[in-house]
Formats: sequence, structure tokens, C-alpha cells
Amino acid sequence: MKSWQRMAGLALLIVSGVVIQQSIWVLRLLDAGQPGSGFMPFGLGVILAVLSLLIIFKNLGPDEKPVPFWPSRAWLRPLIALIIMGAYVVAFDDLGAVTSVVILVSSWLFVLEKKSVVIALGTGLATGLVVYVVFEVLLMTPFPRGILF
Amino acid sequence: MFDFAGLLSGFQVALSPVNLLWCFIGCALGTAVGVLPGLGPAATIALLLPISMKMGSPVTAIILMSGIFYGAMYGGSTTSILLNMPGEAASVVTCIDGYQMAKKGRAGAALGVAAIGSFIAGTVGVIGLTMMAPPLAEFALSFGPPEYFSLTVLGLLLATYLAGASPLKGLAMAILGLILGSVGLDPLSGAVRFDFGIPDLQSNIDFVTLAMGLFGVGEILYTLEGSEAASILTTTIKNVFPTMADLARSGWAMVRGSFIGFGVGILPGGGAVLSSLISYAIERKCSKHPEEFGHGAIEGVAGPEAANNSAASSSFIPLLTLGIPGNASTAMIFAALLIQGVTPGPFLLKEHPQVFWGVVAAMYLGNVMLLILNLPLVGMWAQLLKVPYAFMAPMIMILTLVGVYSVNNSVFDIWVMLVMGVFGYMARKLKFDLGPLLLAFVLGPIMERSLRQALLMSHGSFNIFVTRPISGVLLGIAVLFVLGNLWAARRGAKQA
Repeated sequence: MKSWQRMAGLALLIVSGVVIQQSIWVLRLLDAGQPGSGFMPFGLGVILAVLSLLIIFKNLGPDEKPVPFWPSRAWLRPLIALIIMGAYVVAFDDLGAVTSVVILVSSWLFVLEKKSVVIALGTGLATGLVVYVVFEVLLMTPFPRGILF
Repeated sequence: MFDFAGLLSGFQVALSPVNLLWCFIGCALGTAVGVLPGLGPAATIALLLPISMKMGSPVTAIILMSGIFYGAMYGGSTTSILLNMPGEAASVVTCIDGYQMAKKGRAGAALGVAAIGSFIAGTVGVIGLTMMAPPLAEFALSFGPPEYFSLTVLGLLLATYLAGASPLKGLAMAILGLILGSVGLDPLSGAVRFDFGIPDLQSNIDFVTLAMGLFGVGEILYTLEGSEAASILTTTIKNVFPTMADLARSGWAMVRGSFIGFGVGILPGGGAVLSSLISYAIERKCSKHPEEFGHGAIEGVAGPEAANNSAASSSFIPLLTLGIPGNASTAMIFAALLIQGVTPGPFLLKEHPQVFWGVVAAMYLGNVMLLILNLPLVGMWAQLLKVPYAFMAPMIMILTLVGVYSVNNSVFDIWVMLVMGVFGYMARKLKFDLGPLLLAFVLGPIMERSLRQALLMSHGSFNIFVTRPISGVLLGIAVLFVLGNLWAARRGAKQA
């Protein structure tokens, strides 16, 4: 896990670098002698840089007992879930909110949870109905209509 | 001084049919959330933020969310006792002796003592809140920008050190939260910060988007990694009313837990988890039978459960009187109040007394509701554990995706939420605590505004933060706290 902690530290160091750069070059540290819009972000960037270096140095060296970060392809299900959610967002405007919900829930249950087509589709349709009633009818959220509904 | 008139007006507000209904819904939902592992009160409140925006009344919205928060403290003990799996982080300690009691056929007594202890402690907590909040709010009226800056620094430091296992990582998350809070329009100068040419980033990152991403999507992704198939302990829950002997043994534990929880809960980051740990340690020291701890000692259930409930009530004190949330759940409630146009802090009692007293009165009522929900109906809650997570996960996901869109009708917000979800997932994998990040995101604008206003007052001199007495004391406590922790860590490293 130490290598992953070092990578996390490195990621935070990069973030701090970007923040410091933006604070100095794009924003203003001082504005007519007073703290400008870049003043606090600059300070935060410096503190974050120090902390991320400490995280990196604290995790130098090999692990005493190496533990896989993702044992037994544990990354697969979260990745599939993210792909399904990403597809939902892409299709959201074109297919409409309720239709997208039905498709998301059905594909989630069918692909990810290995449920039968009947159960997946039935649950999807039920969820779509609940979303329609709660959000469109009761809360009057202006969802995109899409091509189907 | 006890403000009876204020409290009575609060009961008038809380006893309205609408508020009573939402109080009940909040308590029931909170209990359910507490029972079900994987979905904490912070995540649930985040999911309901978009719905709370449509409620129209800030009192009703906060009554609902408060009910979820302290309801979860009640419900968390159910899975701890029946499954040896805490439904809520604050119920971890209850697993130790509660599950052992269940294995000996005393699940009912354990659940009963947990519920009664929670009720007593919750009542103590709310009475303490009623008595302490008004004078504290009065005192806080003397706070200016330097005091607020120092208070937010102290609050964040305490929350970072007390809440998580690694102060270094917690501090890094807090700083990241402060940075995320500065994305968008600078409220003082109007300059746009960190938009990188993306027009949607010119308005600040929405709190709901961040919270639902970190705690909703992140939690789901993390849980999807494994398949936790928990089976309900095959024991019948008979007689949830403890015997007189049980009450005699656990009575003082409940009282001690109530006061421990109240004191610790006021501290930012202190909260329910820390208070339950401290209570367990103290009960073990005070017990005439310390050898029974770990094998089904009833005090080991009564004390921590009382502590976590009392802490849940007292954590509202810094939120409502100082405008400083102490944990992720109260940070959500803070955001909900802001969304409703109510600013928590010392002026809340003066400008919106019906909100303050309505919420306090609802907490009294909620306590009674929770006792009824958790004592005779505990068997019903245990049945919830049979709902397969395979169906719950997509429902929660839909709530986050649809909910976040409903806030600003923005697809960009959904993408931001997904990015935050991935970040939250990786942070959990790498054992980075997300609570400080959320707290810092909420406190960041207050901190920056106070800092810049204070420096304007002092013509750029930082001395103002130490020369003003209250600010100086607060910063001094913060410095001492950090130095104390560093010294303790160095001593621990030398001994090792």
C-alpha cells in the first residue's frame, strides 16, 4: 500500500503546484496592499505541498507485508458501475430523464448484479415510475423530455 | 438561564401536524439508515438535500435532517448487537459486548438497554442544548472577523485530529477542502478562481454535488468491491424490556455516558464515535466486574450507546450558536440551513427564533418517537437487513443522479458528482478521511472572509489575531493542541 500512498502524496503535490501557480500568475496575492483573491489559496497550496511531501516521505520503502490494492479484480464492479452511470449522463438529455433511469436500473441489475431480465426490467420500470411521481409530479423538477418520455 | 418562553414557542412550531409528520419520517428514516450498514446519516442527509430545498420551510427541513442524524444513533445498535456489524460508525463499540449478549440469548435485553440509554442520554443532551445554547449565542455576538477566523482554524484542527486515524492525512484533506471551497467567484473581489476556462466552474462548486459525490457515489463504489452477505443472527428477540437487575447495573453507565457524550460532542470532530470509545474505556475502569467486558457486560452497551446519542444532541450547539459544524452530518445540516436562507450562528436565535426553538423542541419529541420506534418495533427493523444490497445500490445511485440534477438542472453537476465519487472512493481505499474535507469546504468561505476582513481592519497586520483576547486564546489553544499531539507522537515513536 505504501506505493499507493506515495502516489496519493504525489497527486496532492501536483494539485498544490497548480494552486500555487494559479495564485501567483493568474490571481493576485495582494490587491492595493490588502490580501487579494490569490492570498489564501497561495497559503493553502504551500501547506498542502508540505503535507504531501510528508506523506511521500512517510511512505518511502517497500511494504513489510504487501497487500494487493485491488484483490481478485475488485476494481471491475466499480468500473462497470461508473461506465453505466457515465452512459446515463450521456444519454440523459437525448433519451429523457425517466427513460434513462429505467435503462440505468435495468442494466445495473442485469449486468452488475446478474439478475434475470424480467426482474431487472421490472425493477427498472418501477423505479422509473417512482422517479416520475416523486421528482416530476411532486417536486416539479423540470427534467429533459427526450425522444421517448 | 432556561428560556421557557422560547422553548414553549418551539413546541408550538414542532407540534404542528406537518412538522410532527416530518419529525417522524426523519426518525424512522434515521433508524433505518442506522440499521443498514453502508449508508450513514451523512450520506442520507446529502441524498435528501435536493428534496429539502423544495420544502419551503427551514424548520421542517432541519427537523427532518436532525431526525435522521440522531435516529441513526438509535438504529446503529441493532446490527451491532444482532450481527456484530455496526450499522453506524458510532456503534462500533456496541459490537464488543452487545453481540456477546445476543449469543447468550440476551439480544432483547441488549437492544432494550441500548434504546433506553439512548433515550435518557438524548434527553440530557437536548436539555443541555436548551440551557447552553442561548448564553453561548449571546457570548458569540461579541465575535468579530479575527475571532471567527481563529475559531474556524481551531474547529478544523480539532475535527482533523480527533475524527480520523491519521492527522497528517486528515489535515491534507482539510486543506484540499479549503481549496475546493475557493473554486469559482471570490466573494470579496469578484475574481474568478480555478475555472481553467470552464464556464460552469465560474460559479462555485455546489455543496450538494460535492457531498453526494463523496458520500453517495463514493460509498456505493466502495461497497461494490465486495459482496457482504450478512445473515441475521438466528436468535429470537424476546423481551426487549430489560430486567430491574439489568437497569440497576446499567443505570449509572447511562448517566455517565450521557455526560461524557455531551461534553465530547460539543468539540468539533469529537462527536459520537469518540464519545462512545471514551465511555467504554471509563465503564471498564469503573465496573466492579471488568473481566466481563468483552464477554457480554451490559454496561459496555449502555454507556457507549448513551454517549453517542448525547453527543449527537450536543453537536448542535456549535452549529446553531457559533455557525461551526463539528462533523459531516452537521455540516450537511449547516448547508441545508444556508440553502433555506437561514445563516446558523449567534444571530440565528435573534433573527430566526422559531427555527432554533422549533428544532430544539422537535429533538425532545423525536427522542420519544425513537424510543417507541426502537423498543417494541425493533424486530421490524431487523427485517430490513433481509433487503438485498443488490437492489438498494441502484436505488441510492438513482437518488444521487436525479437529486443532484434537480438542484441546478445542470448535467455538468452530475459529471462533477461522478468525479467526486471516484475521488471519494479512492480516498476511502487509501484511508483518507473525508469528514475534514467536507467540513473545510463548508468553513472555508467563512475562514477566508474573516481572514481578509480582519487584515483589512488591522491594515495588513497579523497581530490582530493575537492581540484580541478571544482570538488569541482560541489560536493559543490550537497551537497547544497541535504541539501536544506532535509531542505525544514523537514520544510514542521513541518508545517504539
